[in-house]
Amino acid sequence: MLTVCPYFHVHQPYRVKRYRVFDIGNDNQYFNEGGENDLNNRRILEKVAEKSYRPMNAVLKQMLEEHEDFRFALSFSGTVLDQFEAYTPDVLEGFQKLVATGRVEILADTYHHSLSFFYSVPEFERQVAKHAKRIHELFGYTPRVFRNTELSYRNDLARWCEENGYLGIMAEGWDPILGWRSPNYVYKPVGCKRIKVLLKNYKLSDDIAFRFGNRGWESYPLHAETFAQWVHAHHGDGHTVNLFMDYETFGEHQWEDTGIFNFMRALPGMLKQHPDTSFKTPTETIESYDPVGEIDVQHVLTWADTDRDLTAWVGNDIQKDAIRSIYGMEKDVLATGQESIIETWRKLQTSDHFYYMCTKWSQDGDVHAYFSPYQSPYDAYVAFMNALSDLQLRVQHALEAKRTALNEAPAVVEVKTTFPELAKAWLAGGIEFVATFFNVHLPKLSKAYAYIFNKENR
Amino acid sequence: MKVLTFGWDFPPETTGGLGIACQGLTRELAQEGVEVVFVLPRSQQVRGNARFIFADVEKMVKTRTVDSGLVPYAGSQTRVDVYDATGRRVIYSRTILQEVHAFAHKAAQIAKEENFDIIHAHDWTSYLAGVAAKKASGKPLVLHVHATAFDQAASDQVDPEVFKIEKEAFAYADCIITVSDFTKRILVQKHEVPELKIDVVHNGCDTHDPVRYAPALSELKAQGKKIVLYHGRITIQKGVDYFIEAARKVVDIDKDVVFVISGQGDMMGQIMHKVGSLGLSSNVIFAGALWYEERDRMYQSVDLVVMPSVSEPFGLVPLEAIQHGTPSLISKQSGVSEVISHVLKVDFWDVEDMANKILAALRYPVLHEQLKREGRQEIHRLSWKHSAQKVLSLYQRLLQYMTA
Repeated sequence: MLTVCPYFHVHQPYRVKRYRVFDIGNDNQYFNEGGENDLNNRRILEKVAEKSYRPMNAVLKQMLEEHEDFRFALSFSGTVLDQFEAYTPDVLEGFQKLVATGRVEILADTYHHSLSFFYSVPEFERQVAKHAKRIHELFGYTPRVFRNTELSYRNDLARWCEENGYLGIMAEGWDPILGWRSPNYVYKPVGCKRIKVLLKNYKLSDDIAFRFGNRGWESYPLHAETFAQWVHAHHGDGHTVNLFMDYETFGEHQWEDTGIFNFMRALPGMLKQHPDTSFKTPTETIESYDPVGEIDVQHVLTWADTDRDLTAWVGNDIQKDAIRSIYGMEKDVLATGQESIIETWRKLQTSDHFYYMCTKWSQDGDVHAYFSPYQSPYDAYVAFMNALSDLQLRVQHALEAKRTALNEAPAVVEVKTTFPELAKAWLAGGIEFVATFFNVHLPKLSKAYAYIFNKENR
Repeated sequence: MKVLTFGWDFPPETTGGLGIACQGLTRELAQEGVEVVFVLPRSQQVRGNARFIFADVEKMVKTRTVDSGLVPYAGSQTRVDVYDATGRRVIYSRTILQEVHAFAHKAAQIAKEENFDIIHAHDWTSYLAGVAAKKASGKPLVLHVHATAFDQAASDQVDPEVFKIEKEAFAYADCIITVSDFTKRILVQKHEVPELKIDVVHNGCDTHDPVRYAPALSELKAQGKKIVLYHGRITIQKGVDYFIEAARKVVDIDKDVVFVISGQGDMMGQIMHKVGSLGLSSNVIFAGALWYEERDRMYQSVDLVVMPSVSEPFGLVPLEAIQHGTPSLISKQSGVSEVISHVLKVDFWDVEDMANKILAALRYPVLHEQLKREGRQEIHRLSWKHSAQKVLSLYQRLLQYMTA
């Protein structure tokens, strides 16, 4: 028995327009490019919808109708769902119909396609929760298997998943991690008791995702029959072949004229020519097979570039500076309590912004240039940092306004309301602390309470 | 292999990028074992002191001068007067065009006297010399395009005489080298040269560590001013007027930025007027044309160098700047932008973006540092040796069917 586990990742970021120094303090819309260029988010989404989302949804629908055991998984970033809703609601409906068949699993993810786990776990948790809520809202579905941005993975992330009740997690089946072992089995993350990890078979996945339309490739043109034979070759040497790739592979990275849609349509039939081959979703795969070993990943593993690490996002100094700057704002941003500021800050966490700043001018660099809407990584950095400077100003103003509001509040002391605080302080710090508390905290607190009290009674 | 080379500009008697390029290329060709006879027109001074720093190649390089009043970077009708050492005028007000023809006449004579395998002529003033030498000797001719009439005019209003010489000489050449794809496109579109006849050989760059000088403008820096440098001729081709417009926008945001303009040229008065009318007098310093030590000192002292060229076949300025550890902002309308990535790039006409990126380079220290560090790494790939090897293989390709 060999099962195939296809999983497609759907994502679009909110690209930052050419935000200039002159815009700082004057323009708080960073993502609203309206021109005929690749920074216009609406334009990109409509283009990709036409080339990829609509035709591929139709192909998948047909595959589900024609092959009753066909099933697969999807993951969506919150940022793409928001854009579907705003610009192409029919695409969202198409996905909802696919999911409604009950044969399509949705994976857990961060809302903003961010690398927050590696910079701020509390922020990461907020984004995962927001994502789960959104998925439930749109699909009536609760994800049980986790995938992190760019398939990034580390032992502590797997432990987090276990502690938070997930069944399993996805990762790259990268040779240096596996050694002599095969990605075509289910493994257990080191230090975990219950959850399992599904590893991407990157050779077979990338044959479709990267090489399919490459005329210079020895296997070009790839037919479904040939590919099915490559999969069948793993009979007796594995339980599951995990084909993980971007959804946009179909029609956007590999254009329709490469024959990618016909290839996919034909694939289930060809795979089933071997009688012992079928499909499973990630949850089914995890529930069907026992782990054959442990996976130990101490440094971040991703599915990108030949390095399979985070260097595509935080490899150079401008990238590190940008990501440090955004996460460095966390405390102040949250303290504003303003949803528009917090949401904008999160949109700026999307990993794509940092990817556009990559300066690896190797073969990988060419890939980055292909996927970047900016003409240079430095253009990406300048636009991002200018927008960030504006956001910092907004945060500063919001906090100042809050402070002024507190100070303007009349100095009425309501000792009663602070008693629990006082008791806590007594237990924690003894008499000295209480004295300090009275002098320092009490006036502020009482002012705040009085302000709120007055406001409510206005 | 022996190459008869015609040029018009050679260090130290140099006025710009062309001479530097001739020197770098000639030096490395000599290293590859090519024997170079360099023929130069005699201009203001006899160029007996044109020597190479590498003593071991000196014996292979011979410089010849002819009586001619060619001066670089002039139009065809520019008049020149040439004086000898005693102050006596030896050539009276001849046009550059007349000089070009005189140079060609002498080139034919030299071609008859010298033994060589191939002819290589640099830039339009030497093209006719190259053509004459080819007619006299029957040897293959390589024309090396460092600039075209379209670059100097920065528009289609070109000097018709120069354009005529370019077009006819290109037709006559066996092979044409351009210093960038940017220039190759001009030749294909404007001169209607078949694409296959053109090879692109990007200029190289000297990557040795330069001498460090005591910082200039330290008083300004002590006041917390940031300094942005323009270095180049003050002509329409170089886009200085766009630079001044961008400066205005920069100063609107940050009044502590000072713009230094090093160079001179026919647009000087116009630029000074513009600086005054935009109210920038206290933010712009005209430094005159800085060369050698003064120029290097300036490169080392400033925060950013801007090359805003409207049309730049190659553009050595960002390479020189980064050698001295200073990053650049360059226009995309330049050949050098094809070979360097760790610089900021703008369209020359987009003054708002120019100002935006000048401010970004001054505002974000991490950006500045990365451009500086990565930029220095990057120029190591741009060696003259690499360029010379490309030229040499082109020579070999031209000579493969020639019999002795």
